[in-house]
Formats: sequence, structure tokens, C-alpha cells
Amino acid sequence: MTQKLISKLRVIVLLLLLISSLSSQTRLLHHTPPPYAEVGKELILKASSFEVVDPIDATLYYRLPGSKSFLEIPFTDSGINWEASIPGFAMTKEGLEYVITFQFSKDRLVSFPREDPYNYPHYLITVPSKKSELGLMDGNSNQDILILSPEPNELIDQKSILIAASFFNANKVDISTIQLLIDDINVSNSILVEENILSYDPGELSVGIHTVTLLLKDLDGNDISPLSWKFTVGTERIEISEPIKYNGKINSRLSSEKLSGTSLNIAELVGGMKVDVQWAQLSTDVRLTSRESPYSQPHNRFGTTFSLGNFIDFSLGDFYPQLSRFTIDGKRVRGIGVNADLNWFRIQFISGELNRAVQERNSLNGGYSILHDLTSRNEDGSKSYYLDRTGFTFRRNVTGLRLSMNLFSKLKAGVHLIKTRDDTSSVNKVLNEATFLSDSLVQGVPVGIYTVDDFNNALTLAGNKLNTPTNNWSGQKPQDNLVFGFNIGTVLDNRKLILDFDWNMSLYNRDIWNGEMSISELDTALDDSLDGFIGLLYDENGKEISGSTKIRTGDIIFDPENIKSMFIINTNMTPIVPFDLNALKSNPIAAIINMPSSAFRIKLRGNYSRNSILAEYLQVGPEYISLANPFIRSNTRQFTISDRISLLDQKLFLNVGFKHLDNKILKTTVSPLNTNTLFMNLTFLLGSNMPTFVLNYQSIGKNNEKTKLDSVGSKTVDLREDSKSSTSMVAVSVPFSSGNLKQNLTLNIGNVANLDNFNNKRSASYLFPKTDSKTISVTLSSLYPNQLKTNYLISQTTLEIPSIVENNLIKTPYKWTHLSFSANKMIFQEKVNSKGAITFLNSKSKINSKLLGLRAGLDYRLHENLTASMMSQVRFNYTPDFKEDKLDNDGDGKIDNSGEGFNINSIGIIFNVQYNF
Amino acid sequence: MQKIIITSIFLFSYIFAGERIAIATKIIGNAHYIRGNGSQSIIKKGQIFETGDILSTKKGGFVALLFIDDKTALKIKENSKLTINGIRSARAIAKEIKLDGGVIRAIVSKQRQADFIIRTSVSIASVKGTDFWIISNKSNDSLIGLDGKVEFSNIISGESLEITSGKTGISSSTGDLQSFKTDPKNIPDDPSDDGRGEQKLEIKFEDASGNKKTLVIKYK
Repeated sequence: MTQKLISKLRVIVLLLLLISSLSSQTRLLHHTPPPYAEVGKELILKASSFEVVDPIDATLYYRLPGSKSFLEIPFTDSGINWEASIPGFAMTKEGLEYVITFQFSKDRLVSFPREDPYNYPHYLITVPSKKSELGLMDGNSNQDILILSPEPNELIDQKSILIAASFFNANKVDISTIQLLIDDINVSNSILVEENILSYDPGELSVGIHTVTLLLKDLDGNDISPLSWKFTVGTERIEISEPIKYNGKINSRLSSEKLSGTSLNIAELVGGMKVDVQWAQLSTDVRLTSRESPYSQPHNRFGTTFSLGNFIDFSLGDFYPQLSRFTIDGKRVRGIGVNADLNWFRIQFISGELNRAVQERNSLNGGYSILHDLTSRNEDGSKSYYLDRTGFTFRRNVTGLRLSMNLFSKLKAGVHLIKTRDDTSSVNKVLNEATFLSDSLVQGVPVGIYTVDDFNNALTLAGNKLNTPTNNWSGQKPQDNLVFGFNIGTVLDNRKLILDFDWNMSLYNRDIWNGEMSISELDTALDDSLDGFIGLLYDENGKEISGSTKIRTGDIIFDPENIKSMFIINTNMTPIVPFDLNALKSNPIAAIINMPSSAFRIKLRGNYSRNSILAEYLQVGPEYISLANPFIRSNTRQFTISDRISLLDQKLFLNVGFKHLDNKILKTTVSPLNTNTLFMNLTFLLGSNMPTFVLNYQSIGKNNEKTKLDSVGSKTVDLREDSKSSTSMVAVSVPFSSGNLKQNLTLNIGNVANLDNFNNKRSASYLFPKTDSKTISVTLSSLYPNQLKTNYLISQTTLEIPSIVENNLIKTPYKWTHLSFSANKMIFQEKVNSKGAITFLNSKSKINSKLLGLRAGLDYRLHENLTASMMSQVRFNYTPDFKEDKLDNDGDGKIDNSGEGFNINSIGIIFNVQYNF
Repeated sequence: MQKIIITSIFLFSYIFAGERIAIATKIIGNAHYIRGNGSQSIIKKGQIFETGDILSTKKGGFVALLFIDDKTALKIKENSKLTINGIRSARAIAKEIKLDGGVIRAIVSKQRQADFIIRTSVSIASVKGTDFWIISNKSNDSLIGLDGKVEFSNIISGESLEITSGKTGISSSTGDLQSFKTDPKNIPDDPSDDGRGEQKLEIKFEDASGNKKTLVIKYK
């Protein structure tokens, strides 16, 4: 018991150290979240890294609030910031939760939010879409004249002729210069021009083809190319609809970048095509990238969907199925998928692979590694050296089925099942070309790099032997997983209340190398006696111990060997017994509800008088696992209640709620961690071209019900948790105009404060690892009459990062000041959109540094459907302290003042060509 | 404070009123409009509408109008009444139709910014770009999808449905909202396709024996 407790304490200490480590690294990531997003509108998120040493990767994870899984989008390095775009379809009225992670070499990870990001992602409220005129870098101003009537080549009857055109989007046209010609006859004296609309009623024209011509000048008095179109006056019309419609796009991207001395060149081809034959549709998406490698999971994508009417979709290649939130919820599958929806009945089927087989890593010891701990001595005195297979990933096959029905839009129900299994045959037993290091611990074999055959020969010469197992490798184990469940839902109170219930159970086997068990092996799974009972224990006299589990093997309705194709049962499976059998006797209902391998959710949503009220209870057992949904957090109970209120004709939104989370599912849980979250958001949108006000507040309180110190060995450790973290944010956005100059000013103030309620009771050397921060930013976006768009940003973030120095808690202040200016303008008859940006980051702390970034580029519209773009960037890093520390900070082998303090942090160029058809 | 806010909203609504947003391209029969506090006027071909204009059609009346920013078309059938609203920005018009009753067809071009919205006493239809009919009376609304997708919401219950091509959504004042497959018989005729709906071309053949056969080609 004591050992178990110590073991748990060790785990907790390690966890705290990990969190502390994560927190201490987070200073490298700078991200100011936007105050809100618009429903249905793409959102670009930006983050900056202060890391100046290693090349990095960055990923954005996002999901609907409360969902159990995230979707991933890679950030792209724009030179100054890292940017990721969340597609408009993900922006629903429910809002959005997201996490940003930066991955450094050596598996270092930093994130936003800083602490426990996957469980407490940043919540972003969404508001109804409104116009936004001052976005930068979109550069797609439409100056075209819109022909309203008649359409070009339209056949129209004599009495319905109206000539009309709109100059709404043609703001460079001098309306007073418009001349209208019908069949080369100037009728300008009779036209009517109101604001941006031209109209002319010619009366009845003769049957036949007629031509309309508009002669125009721009505001500077220069001629604009005449606009001319034809129409036919008649009484008959034959319309031939196109039997086949298609459209698509091809995008080619080439980038060459150098980050801290490491070159990164990427070529990528992304395309999509949609063919519509009226009764069916075929859509295909392809991504081919030079990052594709046999040593990792695929970066290339190929997916195609064939839709037959509105009833059935076939997916082939890469697709992202969603069966249920507890099974698979948007994770990529490569294979086939069928979705047949008859409105009242729906079948979803998936079959494919979640992971492809990877044979080895592209490095020394990437396929083999000598495990000296497993070296054995033979009877003849020689040694057998154990060569383990490493660096592989099994192909993970997945098959899923969901049947659901919707009866009269009142009752919804469904059952689902998903099976995931690693294919042990997908990994080669022997890699002839893989190399590994043999060190001095191998007797008689020179230190060096070997292949399997070379090493075997060398060992044989030295009189030793080689042990190369073909299974049960010590690294990754093949796993098996079966999840099944059901859901049922209905609507009540005249459809104002929606009730949903989901229940799921998982069977998980963490190691299937040895295959399934027989009934007799099952008999001895929990006890050592082959007695026809599972779990029956005996005392030293051979008598049954009362209260022990007693399951008759004869009562088991299936033989594990018969169901091995569905799930492999052996001692590595979880659960061996799905219920807590002792609890089942005393409280069967609680035992069923709290099955450690079950997950369920009951959700009640009410819509009453502009209120959208949610009450939800969610429980995921400590042993619940779905390999197809890695984001599910096990061992959690969560209760949520929230209300979203819309007032003043959808101009004022109030979102308030409370969430309780703990891990008290099992009675044996010691010191459960309780988390109480209170959140409030107020968004006030006065309307288009009017100010917007956003207020966010979130308070997270955590406690683990501990009031006393613990001891680990001879030392005491303080594992008490009773803390409160308050996050507040205010954002005000004010659009204003000055003549034809349109501007938007946004002020954003954020504050994170942490409070340790045990502060007065802890020792001076206790590390409370949470970081306080303050952020203020001001952005001014301007749109000039000549279509020049500019954006000024100034922001400052201050942090206090705690650490222990010489047994004392100190808080190291960090202050980041960020200045940036960017602009873009259409030039050369609006065929070229020129862009530029300059950014300055000043970091003040123990070591001061400054980063200056420059970016310039252009988009060139070669043709209506063809656009080429180029973007170049350079970032300089200046660290004055490095000039005086007499250290070789840049690793060039010499200590020189100028070289130590100044370097080009990154430089790169990106070419892009896009063709739409 | 609330009074100030509400007053401000009305003030701004007043400021934005009067902007020209659409033009009538086809008129059949009796159709009228009311602007501001003015009296009822007849809609003529080429009539330019401003935000806040109230349009109505009598029996046999029909109006087709186009919004001037993107050619979004609105076809208003007989015995209909609606108010057209639009807030102009530099690049687009945020359009909202308040339908008091009647039958209208909306052929919505892809909206650059805000969704195109049709609001009735019990429902809201919100779209980015699509083609659909909406039939509204005091007790319920029917939305018939012809192309694309429409988010159809019931104001009373707050429920939403996505109506696609071939589907019909029914939203009632009791809060009910449901969809089902469209019965083609329920799709209203579009008077702007008058004489151009399904047409028939008959070609008569006669062989040497005098046997006659007729080839009938139906087209639209």
C-alpha cells in the first residue's frame, strides 16, 4: 500500500515537473488571441517565436467547444510571424477552442495556452458575420462593372427590355462621363443614372441581335476600355443546360528558407477538382509535398469523394470521418468510406488505416539498437547480444460502422462500433541496410557502424552470437482496440428542449504480440489456480477466500479464440473484467455507470426566449481508450452549465457558464484533482461601421483536497494544490472615417493572474509554477481612397516567470514590445498587389534581445484565373549581452564581439502559382 | 444607458436609410412600394429601390429585382409583402429581407461578407449563395431548396436545419422545424420564366405507307 502511494506520488511529482518544464519554456511563444471571430469567416491566427536556435514546426489545434478531439492545421512561417488559417466552416455560433504548439528539436514543446492546453484550450467567441473592409494583404479589389440587364447573350421578349448596369464596385469610374450606345446609336441623353446605377428603358426593340456599348472615363479623365455586350430580342428560347460542369484549382508553392543556419526547402503542389454531372458529383483533393518521406507518416494527401444525388457519398483515399465524439471524430483515415443518408436512416462505414507502416527512422540506430541489458551468457561461455528492432510504426487498421435513424425529427438513435488494430506483419522483421552503432561494450567487435550481416559476422569471428528477435520487440507494442456504443436523443417541450445521451465502452489490448488467450489461460488470468473460476482465491489451506471474485469459466459465452478476428483477449487487455465486481454486488447501478472502460455523456440543451442553455454531464472512465481519437482525456468527470443569450436583435451576446471537472470516478482515487471554471463573455456589436466591445473573463480554481504535506522516503514534499487563475480580456474596436479614408482602431487589454491559496503556509523554496502576464495592444488599420491599405500594431506583454534559485522563489520579469507596420497596394492597372511589412520585437529580461523582420512581396494576376506571387523575408537578431559575455554564443568557433551579438536569424523566399479553372 | 444604446441604433439606422441597393428588372401586373412615410407608388421597370422600401404585389402581380452589388435576384410573386434592407459597405451590401407574407424566390450570388438573410415572423433563412423559394404565411414558412445550402432557423425554438437542393423545410409558429424531400408539385412557377418553362416541339413524320408518327421534344 505504502509502495503504491509512493509510486503515485512519484508520478505526481514527475507530472508537476513536466508542467513546470512546459511552463518555463513557454516564454518562447508569443500570441495575442483575437477578441472574437466571425461566424463563417476564415480566421488567420498569428504567433511568434523568440527561439533563435533550432528550426521548429508549429501546429494549430482547434475544435468546437466541448468536443473531444481537435483538428490540426500546420502553421506556415511567414518570416516574421507564424500564421495558420482556420477555415470559415469551422466558425460556428458555438465559438471555437484552440491550442497553439511550437515543436522544437529534441521533442521540446511550448504551447498557448501555457498550462494544460489540451484540457483548457483558449476559447474564442464567434459573432455573426459583419463586414470588414480594412483587412490587409487580401488585395482583391473588384472594380468591375456589373451588367444587370439584359444578361450577355440573353434572349428577351420585346416588352421586357431594360438596360441596366451597376457601378457599385467600379469606384474609379467617373459616372458623369458614361455614354450608352444601343446598336451604335448614342442614347445617353435618355439614360437614368442614380448613384451607382445606370438604367435605360429602350421600349420595344426589333426582333434580332442588339449590341449595348458603354463608353467610360475614370476619375482622372482617362478613357476606360468600352464595355460591350449583345442580347437577342425574340419570343422563343432554347436553353441547353450544360450536362457536365467542372471547376478546380491548382496551387504550386516553392519555398526556400534558412532558419538559424539550417536550410529548409519545400515544394508543394495542392489541387482540387469538382465535376458535377447533375445527378452525381466527384470531388478530388490532392497535396504532393517534398516533405513526404517513408520514414514518417504521410504528408501527401489524396482524397476523392463520389456523391450520388443527396443520398450517398463514397470516399476514397484520405478522408476525415466522424462517427461519434467518443470513437472517431475527424481523424484522418486512408481507405474507403461510405455514407448513405436516407434522411430517416443512415449508414456510415469506414475501412482503412490510421497510421501507415514505417520501417525505420532516417538516422543511425533508426532501425536497430543493441540492448546491453538483455545480453545473455551462453553455456559455452560465449555471449548472445540482443539486437532490438527500433524506429518502426505498425500499420494501424481501422474499421468502423454506424447505423442511425431519425424518426419524424423527434427521435434520434444510433449504434456504432469501431475496431482498430496494429498489423504486426506490416513491419519487416529484418532490415538489411539499416545501420547501428556497436560500442565498446560488445566484446571482440571493433567500435563502429554495422549492418545486421556485418555485425553478425563480426560477432561470429569473436566467438559470440547474435540474438535478433522477430517479435516482441522492446519498443512500441502492437495494440488492439474495440469501441462500441449507442446514442439516443429526443426533443421535448415543443422542440425547445433537446436531450442527447451517448454511451460507449472500450476494450483495449496494449500488447498483442502473443495473440489471444485460451479459456484455460483466462482461468488463471487473475489467480494462479486452474479451477474453472476466474479470480477465485484460496487461503493456505486451500479454502476459498470469502469476498474474492468468482466467475465460472463455463459461464463465458464465447471462446477468445473464436472472436480473435474482432478483438484479441489476453492478459494485456483492459478491462479483464469490465465491472468492479465488488461494487456490482453492493450497488449495481453505480457499478455499471462507473465502469472504468466506459464513457458517456448526457446533454440537455434548451432554447427559451433568446437563451440557449446547456447542461451536460460527461464521464470518461480511467481505462476508456479509443485509438482513433487520441484527444480523449480519460479519468474525467465533467459537469457544464452555460447560457448564451442574444439581445438587442443579435447585437448583444452574453455567454456565461460554469464547469466542474474532477477524476473521482473510482472509489480508490486518492487526492482527486477538482477544477472549477467560471467563464463569462460579453460581446456588443452595434452594427456595421460601428464600435465593437468584447469582454472576456475566466476563472479556473484547482484543488486536490490535500491539506497536509506528504513524505517521499525521508523527504517531505508539498503536493497541495489550491490555486486560482483569472484571465480577463477587454477589446474595443472603433471604425471611423475621415473623408474617403476609412480606419479601424482596436484596443486589446489582457491580464492573467494566479493566486496560490496556500501561499502563506508554504516554505520559501516552494515553486508555484504559474506565470502572471499582462498584454496591451493597439492596432490601426487604414484604407486610403487610392486602395492603399496599412496596418500599424504596437503591443507590449509582460510576464513574471517563477523559478527556484538557491532555494528561494524568484520571479523573473520579461517584457516584450512588438511594433509592426504592414501595407499593401494594387498597382499596374490593378494587376499587381504589392505587399510589405516591417516588424520589431524587443525582449527585455536577464538577456535582452531585439528582432527586426522585413517582408516584401507581390501578387501578379497574369490572367483572370492565373495568379503568381512571391514573398521574401529576412529577420535579424541582435543580442547586445552576447557581445560582453566572452562566450562563443553563435558556435562559429571564435569569440568575436560583432559576430556574437548580431546574426541573421532567418531568411527565405516563397513562390506561389495558383490556377483556377 | 439602454435608452442611449437603442436611440443610437435607431439614429444609425436612420443615417443608413435611403441608400440605393436594388433595381426592378421585370414587372407583371400590380406591384407597389412605399418609401419612408410616403404614399404607395407603382413599381415600374427600372425602379430603383432604397433600403427600407416596402414592396407589395397584388393578385397576379410579380416583381423581379436585382441587388446592385452582386446581382442577387429576388422574385416576388403575387400577394406578397416585404421590406428590403441593405447596408452598403465599400465592397458589398449586407442584405436582409423582412417577409411579412407571400412567396418569393431568392437566387443569391456568393456573398462576399455578411450572409443574405430572409426573416419572417417565425423563421430566419441565412445563406451565402444559393437558390430557393420561401413561402410564408402567418402560421408557418416553407423553404424549398433549389440549389446550394440554406441555414433555416425557427425563431421560436431556436432550432436550425440545413436545407439543400431537393429538400423542403417547414417552420411553424409552434416552434416546429422539420425537413423532407421536396415534392416537385409544390415548387411554385417562376413567372419570369413565362413562356419559357417547359416547351414542346412536335415533328411529324410520315412513311411511304402513310403511317404517321410524331416526335415530341420537350425543352426548357
